[in-house]
Amino acid sequence: MFAEELKAFRRLGVRGVLVQLLNFASVIASGLMMWKGLGLLTNTESPIVVVLSGSMEPAFYRGDLLFLTNPPNVPYQTGDITVYKVPGSPIPIVHRILETRGIVRNAPKSAIAQDVADGQKSAVLRAVEGQEVEQLLLTKGDNNPIDDVDLYNGLDWLERRHVVGKVRGFLPYIGYVTIAMNDHPNLKYLLLGVLGLFALIQRE
Amino acid sequence: MHSLYARLNNFSAFLSSCLMGLLAAIALSSFLFTAEPKGELTLASVKVFPGSSRRMPTVKQEFTFVNFNISADLTPLFHWNTKQLFVYLQAEYVDSKGVQNDVVLWDSIIRRKQDAVLNIAGRNKYVFRDLSRSFRNAQAANYTLRYNLMPYVGVLTYGEAGRTSEPVPFPEPETVS
Repeated sequence: MFAEELKAFRRLGVRGVLVQLLNFASVIASGLMMWKGLGLLTNTESPIVVVLSGSMEPAFYRGDLLFLTNPPNVPYQTGDITVYKVPGSPIPIVHRILETRGIVRNAPKSAIAQDVADGQKSAVLRAVEGQEVEQLLLTKGDNNPIDDVDLYNGLDWLERRHVVGKVRGFLPYIGYVTIAMNDHPNLKYLLLGVLGLFALIQRE
Repeated sequence: MHSLYARLNNFSAFLSSCLMGLLAAIALSSFLFTAEPKGELTLASVKVFPGSSRRMPTVKQEFTFVNFNISADLTPLFHWNTKQLFVYLQAEYVDSKGVQNDVVLWDSIIRRKQDAVLNIAGRNKYVFRDLSRSFRNAQAANYTLRYNLMPYVGVLTYGEAGRTSEPVPFPEPETVS
């Protein structure tokens, strides 16, 4: 069955195999570069996420793709759908903001100067010169009867630093591939194996 | 050159680029629909009561109860790329400590065009409380009716469908006998 493929493999020789391996590596590297570049552009650690639970039904179902952005210094608003990660629970959650509480603090001048000098984006938003607004958020899944306080691992409010990003775009179903691969790890190895084999054997 | 594998590969590549092109066109087409329907939002009553919450049974705090009337026709928002509308009513106010608050009091999911004519007399679905545990000396609140249009594919958009004509002050807390 694999006689033909093995013959092709032998014809390639050591150099040929190495070149194919290099091609394979560059495909993976460019994919990673695009992902990280998109992350830089949108200012979030994962610009595209897959919905894993049904708590936002009927808006989002398992396997839908969401596109996130997280512009610095733009406060969140009620109705925004955020993806957040609470310390102590590894799985990010996609839920809608129910309450925002903007606490205005008079920032010490030195702290602002320091922040500006560092060019640093802190968890703090600047509303007016010399003032900073710190937002406390409360979220709720559209399909859940109650708000998320019980999911916060003892926190009373969500803060900006817990938020990965805000949902801006939506693409249905496409993400189901990753869910299928997570549910059936063998499928993942099969897919990787087949792809790798093709990359090695195929010649343009 | 013309092996089954090559043909299959070409066919599926063509099919998936067509699909992506179509999805992109649909997503872009929703920018052509720019309806901004307006409705009416009035408050029937605002009352403040002292009480305590389930989470903190020993802490005394005040809760506000709002009765409102909505009449709005949101059917123009339904076009071929509208999956559902998320409609919500929120209170926006600054409390006695200067905290800027936006609190959603009521929401509803509308999935069909024929359900998009709203004539609702309702009361708040979610608890309306304040960080300082009291609405005393809080500034008058604006109440707004907003919507989030969620598409089958593409960008989520937001809009405002109505607001109370003028800010509504919080009343003195009522005594519970």
